[in-house]
Amino acid sequence: MLSDVLKDVRFALRQLRKSPAFTVTAVITLALGIGANTAIFTLVQGILLRVLPVGDPGQLYRIGDKDDCCVEGGFPGAAGQTGDFSIFSYDLYKYLQSNAPEFEQLAAVQAGFGRLSVRRGQALPKSLSGEFVSGNYFSTLGLKAFSGRVFSDNDDTPAAPPATVLSYSAWKGEFNADPSIVGSTIYVQAKPYTVIGVAPPGFFGDRVTVRPPDLWMPLATEPYMRGAGSLLHHADSHWLYPIGRVRAGTSIGALQARLSTLLRQWLRTRPAYTANGASTLISRQHVVLARGGGGIQNMQQNTGKGLMMLMILSTVVLLIACANIANLLLARNEARRAELAVRMSMGANRMRLVRQVITESVLLSCIGGLAGLAVAYGGSRTILSLAFPDATNLPIDASPSLTVLGFTFLVALATGVLFGTVPAWISSHAQPIEALRGTSRSTRDRSGLPQKALVIFQAALSLVLLASAVLMSRSLARLEHQDFGIATQNRYVLHIDPAGAGYGVERLPALYREIDARFSTLPGVAHVSMALYSPLEGDNWGECVIQQGHPQPGPNERCGSTWDRVSASFLSSIGVPIVMGRDFNEHDTATSPAVALVNEAFVKRFFTNQNPVGRHFGLDKVEYSGTFEIVGVFRDFKLNNPSEDIRPVFLRLLTQPVTDYKEPIMDTIETQSMYINSIILDFSQPQQNVDGLIRGTLAGIDPNLTVMDLRSLDAQVAGNFNEERLVARLTTLFGILALILACVGLYGVTAYFVARRTGEIGIRMALGASRGNVISLVLRDVLVQIGLGLLLGIPSALVAAHFMQSLLYGVHAYNPLAFVAAGLMLAACAGFAGFLPARRAASIDPMSALRVE
Amino acid sequence: MRIQLRNVERSYKAGSSEGWALRRIGLSIKDGEFVTVMGPSGAGKSSLMNLLAMLDDGWRGEYWFGETAVHELNRKQRAELARRQIGVVFQSYHLLEDLTIAENIDLPLSYKNLPSRERSKMVAEILERFQIGAKKDQFPYQLSGGQQQLAGIARAVVHTPALLLADEPTGNLHSTQAHEIMQLFCELNRHGTTILQVTHSDEIARYGSRIIELKDGEIADDRASQTPTYEAAAK
Repeated sequence: MLSDVLKDVRFALRQLRKSPAFTVTAVITLALGIGANTAIFTLVQGILLRVLPVGDPGQLYRIGDKDDCCVEGGFPGAAGQTGDFSIFSYDLYKYLQSNAPEFEQLAAVQAGFGRLSVRRGQALPKSLSGEFVSGNYFSTLGLKAFSGRVFSDNDDTPAAPPATVLSYSAWKGEFNADPSIVGSTIYVQAKPYTVIGVAPPGFFGDRVTVRPPDLWMPLATEPYMRGAGSLLHHADSHWLYPIGRVRAGTSIGALQARLSTLLRQWLRTRPAYTANGASTLISRQHVVLARGGGGIQNMQQNTGKGLMMLMILSTVVLLIACANIANLLLARNEARRAELAVRMSMGANRMRLVRQVITESVLLSCIGGLAGLAVAYGGSRTILSLAFPDATNLPIDASPSLTVLGFTFLVALATGVLFGTVPAWISSHAQPIEALRGTSRSTRDRSGLPQKALVIFQAALSLVLLASAVLMSRSLARLEHQDFGIATQNRYVLHIDPAGAGYGVERLPALYREIDARFSTLPGVAHVSMALYSPLEGDNWGECVIQQGHPQPGPNERCGSTWDRVSASFLSSIGVPIVMGRDFNEHDTATSPAVALVNEAFVKRFFTNQNPVGRHFGLDKVEYSGTFEIVGVFRDFKLNNPSEDIRPVFLRLLTQPVTDYKEPIMDTIETQSMYINSIILDFSQPQQNVDGLIRGTLAGIDPNLTVMDLRSLDAQVAGNFNEERLVARLTTLFGILALILACVGLYGVTAYFVARRTGEIGIRMALGASRGNVISLVLRDVLVQIGLGLLLGIPSALVAAHFMQSLLYGVHAYNPLAFVAAGLMLAACAGFAGFLPARRAASIDPMSALRVE
Repeated sequence: MRIQLRNVERSYKAGSSEGWALRRIGLSIKDGEFVTVMGPSGAGKSSLMNLLAMLDDGWRGEYWFGETAVHELNRKQRAELARRQIGVVFQSYHLLEDLTIAENIDLPLSYKNLPSRERSKMVAEILERFQIGAKKDQFPYQLSGGQQQLAGIARAVVHTPALLLADEPTGNLHSTQAHEIMQLFCELNRHGTTILQVTHSDEIARYGSRIIELKDGEIADDRASQTPTYEAAAK
């Protein structure tokens, strides 16, 4: 048996060598099909199927299942309707921890961690990623230190000296793998921390993210680092994700129910959740216990749909490739009829022939799979750089892992069997006597049906991919070219972190004046502004707004508004006009009444059909409802999410602090919002060497101020669509690939049939058929195949579009233009692919054709 | 319709040399003649047939089809003339196996832009005349060789060509069938169709009124048939 298989393999290799053009075409087609699949699977495996490199990940569960980053207050969802609690305060975490013995250990991690200014010795500070975690973080995950030690519960107490653990990659990349770093002091946001250890290699934190943590710090040090802006002791400010190890044998359903009960019990003790009728919503509140082996699933939730769609589309490309190869094999086997007939007449049974043909196809697909791995490696790298252009230490490797290799091997095997089966089945039904008789007088050709069916199948699938590509491209175009409401040309955004450079609140006004003065004198600068958040950088703050004279909002009332704290020329610097009232001006000072600008959506929500200018509002409590006077209304623009409708927004001045808040959390918010994140520079014309100019100016102000990020506002806006762009580009690529494969398939089949019908065409010409008659004879066949393909493809494309709806922006899934465009593209390319052999058919010399016949 | 060839030559390139298929052919076929072309293999019979059928363009000399100078026509004009005036019968019948007998016979008519009603009538008439009406919906492979050739001839003459060219029309038939086909040819000839057939068979050749012998691409002999078989049969 084994020797027979080896013989088959040897013979198959000889056959492939004998037809190099066929082999090369098939291998390239397979490499593209398998490569596309493997590349996407590399991402799926790296993101969706990723398991944390920790001990016994199957035992880990996260309390909560949503990406509710980063700091939340109140009930989850609009007016608390969803009730799905996914983010927790420190108090609530501790309450659950102490009342849920089902967890062997329950750790807490910061929901949204970010860049921190980290300095060692006298070196310039670096911008690194840092995350606050509970003291039992590493022990919950079952991890030991690579060097030094990891945290213990003792490190997470107010009295413990501030300690930090470095990631292995940061230790190697940022600190040159210096072993003496353990035990030394580094400055995080200008606060000294002792490095107590280095985490094990390969550990990238508790989630797949584009910027995994470079260092971890105990939760207890959060007030130490953030000072007045600390969240740790604000029981109603939720900013942590609890993740824990559940004891063996625990019923997850029962635990989830118990945790929900505990949550409701805790909420009933909090005035923030019971006052003003809010307690009616408590019964709805619950938690979902999500598997935690893959870590916090934020990226998975954000990219999952797109990735799954790409996986399906790449599978469709592979199916088209399979159909192509099957067609090539059918044509080739037709040419080998005599050989197969000889084998049958020598006693080969059908199984033997099937095995021979399948061996060849599997061998071919394995070679294609190997070539596909190279395509996949290059493809994965490109995709990763397109999808995550700003990533540092991305924990997704483009090199094929064992799982990816196994996947590729299985795909190649399945592909080989898939495209080999039809030809094998047909070959096994060959009638030896027919084949041995050789050229017959018959012009009858029944063997074409499977080939035509395959072309129809390819055309249908291509239409699905083309329609998807058109839909995704239109959606991306709508996203990218929508009216954001801001001017982006010649504008740059410099991201800095004054807190990281050691600035206290008292030093901020002087710093901001200095920034304004220095940058304003740069050549060509028209406006300089500063903001807590710049437009479309992906973050914002929200708070409950209460108009003066309005009672305390009830639990079902929508009182949320986005807000930002900015310098006076913010709106000018981003080209947003005032539509009513006035802009901020030099008379708005720290001692003058606090003023605010609001957008049109704000007016629509809170001052419907009223003139808002001169009216007052405040935050969270009726007693503060006179805090801000509205002095102007600005035109709506997209501040946060470009895919969503514009939310109500109000802007406050950085220079106008509110000092009469009684609640510590309000003071915290007030303090935190004083720290700008962005400097926006508006140049009157395109500038050379902007990067050097801006960095140099900042260093001139204070060398300790680290450039966290610097890019044009255009690039910042474009960064919002990385995923959409990737999905649209790949879908288009797959669509083009599918179109090419389908057209090559159609060309091949038509050319093959023209060759087989040479005699018939000769006869027709001898009987009076003109060139036009012959061309239309061949094209009629092509059109029938494409027509049937369209007939099958359109409903399939409609189904595909239905499932894509949630990924589309501003385009309806059943957009007729997309389907017409896809159909026309397919018909035009197919028509061209069919016309070439048709033209060749029309130039057949009837005399030679009849001689052949 | 008089057909004349004057100094017609046809050669084929074989590597660097040139092989002659037809040399200095001068031939005149009168309207209503039944001519048989004979000769050994490679003598140029098929080349002559293809030339007369206007399937071949690579010859030199003069070819007059009645008053029309074929040698002065372009490819398209020749094809148009052939479509109207010439019918071809093949040794291997060359029926299209995916078409029924009726559809096969309709084929030359379909290239003439005739109304389908008229075409159907013409097909029905020829089927009746050839007594193969019962087979009209059958496919070629369901018919015997003789029946297939009958259909082939019906297809060749359905548009009432002035010239019927037949290349070994009985080559694949047994003798009874061959004689039946030849009787049919005689019948067509009596009704005014000029016929030129190629055959190897002396017996079949005698159905014609004139025999042309080709040898090495040249006319070696051109004589009247001693006793045309159909005349003998008529006597």
